Amino acid sequence: MNRAAIPGPPELLRTRSLVVCVGSGGVGKTSVAATMALWAAQQGRRVMVLTIDPARRLGNALGLKKFGNEETRIDLAGLGLDAARGGELWAMMLDTRSAFDNLIRKMAPDEQTAGRILANPIYRVMSSTFAGTQEYMAGEMLHDLAASGRFDLVVLDTPPVKNALDFLEAPSRLTRFFDPGIIKWFLTPYDERKVFGRLVAGTSAVVFRLLGFIFGKDFLEGLSEFLQLFTEMVDGFRERHEAVMNLLSSRDAAFVTVCAPNVASLEVADFFARELRARKLPRGGTVVNQVHQCGEDPLDPRELLAQAVQAHGQDLPAGTQARLLARLGAAHGRLREVAGRERQLIDDLAARLDAAGGFLVELPRLEGEVHDLAALVDLGVHLFED
Amino acid sequence: MNVVDLVYGKLVLVTGKGGVGKTTVSAAIAQLAAAQGRKTLLVEFDNQHPSTTAIYGQAPTYEPRSVAPDLWVANLDWISALAEWVERVVGIRRIVQMILRNRMVQRFLDATPGSREVVLLSKLVWLCEEYDLVVVDLPASGHAVSILQIPWMVKRLFATGPIRQKGEEAMALLGDPGSHLVMVALPEEMVVTETLETFAKLRQESPVLRIPLVVLNQSARPTLDDGESALLDRLSDAIGDDHAAADLVRAGRWEAVLERSTAEAQLRLSQGLDDVRLLDIPRLSREHGPGRLVRQISAALARSSQVRP
Repeated sequence: MNRAAIPGPPELLRTRSLVVCVGSGGVGKTSVAATMALWAAQQGRRVMVLTIDPARRLGNALGLKKFGNEETRIDLAGLGLDAARGGELWAMMLDTRSAFDNLIRKMAPDEQTAGRILANPIYRVMSSTFAGTQEYMAGEMLHDLAASGRFDLVVLDTPPVKNALDFLEAPSRLTRFFDPGIIKWFLTPYDERKVFGRLVAGTSAVVFRLLGFIFGKDFLEGLSEFLQLFTEMVDGFRERHEAVMNLLSSRDAAFVTVCAPNVASLEVADFFARELRARKLPRGGTVVNQVHQCGEDPLDPRELLAQAVQAHGQDLPAGTQARLLARLGAAHGRLREVAGRERQLIDDLAARLDAAGGFLVELPRLEGEVHDLAALVDLGVHLFED
Repeated sequence: MNVVDLVYGKLVLVTGKGGVGKTTVSAAIAQLAAAQGRKTLLVEFDNQHPSTTAIYGQAPTYEPRSVAPDLWVANLDWISALAEWVERVVGIRRIVQMILRNRMVQRFLDATPGSREVVLLSKLVWLCEEYDLVVVDLPASGHAVSILQIPWMVKRLFATGPIRQKGEEAMALLGDPGSHLVMVALPEEMVVTETLETFAKLRQESPVLRIPLVVLNQSARPTLDDGESALLDRLSDAIGDDHAAADLVRAGRWEAVLERSTAEAQLRLSQGLDDVRLLDIPRLSREHGPGRLVRQISAALARSSQVRP
């Protein structure tokens, strides 16, 4: 396997226009996304980092409280970073509901139709709670951001595995619902039953009795209105969805899997490797985050630290020095065990990954947590140094 | 409220941020209940990578499988749940099968808001009639909130019909005095923040749910005294980065940080969650595999409230 030929994170972030971070929860995916965005901005690119995560994690990672659907510019110079190259860093948290409302206003043929859709109870529930809506709107947002020409690079942070799979799946699930075929199938009996009479009876009549039975007549009527209003917009939606899928599968895009060195997270990483390969989506590489750092050999604290402990601990109560030495030896043993197990898991992962899967980079677990920009700069040093 | 309420309740829903150990804690609660002789089912909701596989060595299926005395596991995939739902609600098997084979019907049902969740929650209602206790290993917080608010959504959306009725049954189950939500957290700043946010959201979106317990997993109780802390800090400053001694000091700092984070997490959680019991579970070695880890957590839960492990 020739990893030298694989572009590393720096080249990816200098050349691609879309980077999508996927992976399980709790592995610092948002921090890695923000770190990459920050680094690319330092290289002089105009970068947007977009999160669709409901728990407002990016806000934390960026040290920001809240930023709805608005683009927030992050002051690089204020971080003591070189802003002279013209780079910009922007961040946005997706607010699904208002993004969807805006989209309806934009796509509806006239104001009246838009108003009726926005007031439809089914639309109102669907736009805020329908599984997949969030991911769908993230795709829409990507489309808009890419089309605006205001950014050289968009970094997308996705929610943990179950939802992140939806991210690949849900846009099509949702657009399937707006599929002319299904809408026609659903609306036909209501529109044309009277005209065709018994001709359309048979199977579909049974099916509709069943649907009416399951969902109730009121709901079917509301849905019928909703779909009728949507019919005119279906083509527009489908075009946009195709554009998003084209964007995601183009050579300008790259998927980066972020994981932690534990069995569960690596299983998820394997899953993403398979999915991305099967869907022929461009794989940028894998980041193993939060790796404990520790040498392999046991160390004797008395031999290595007795002098230092004595020099620095003379004023402390009797026994403190010996207790700390014993503690450090025990802690080192535990850390060695953890680091050794992680090493084995990462080696196994490296052996499994094929060259087409892209780079494999390890990031150390940093002392303290990554929740401010200074910590992200630190993380960037580890990610981009050779 | 404590572990006894959970074990002798009817339904336990477990959620938390991704990677906090939801599955391990769910399994520990289920095993503890089974050890009391309660007929217990541990379920996952439509999980494409069932997390309990690693613990019980075999992927859970829709039909509950016995893994220990009084303990069953299952994974409720939604297509099977839908087939059973329609069959039980409509009643005629042949017609149901014919209708479900229709691609349009499948697509329609899949895409209709709430139908997936109602079908799964209905199954939960039925399972609660068959078992003494059902423990649900829910998806991560954000997703869990959207599932748990479904019955309320259904009430707004469906005026009549079985979906409405099943939604009401699910709502009644969630509001049952025997139903409890457990949130699992880690002593990390972002996890604690998300736990507090999810708690607030659930109070708002699903007000009948009782949240008796927040489990602070992988916590480290303070063991360093002031003198040891001071000496460790001085050593950190005095010793450079590049030799073996630094590795020892780093190991000490690593554990000191864990202890400090635990204390901070406990403070923030106890200030932010009213009437909720906070239970800490120590950091345990994963070396001996997930089965052992579950047994150890189960024992820790038992100790917290004098339940027989």
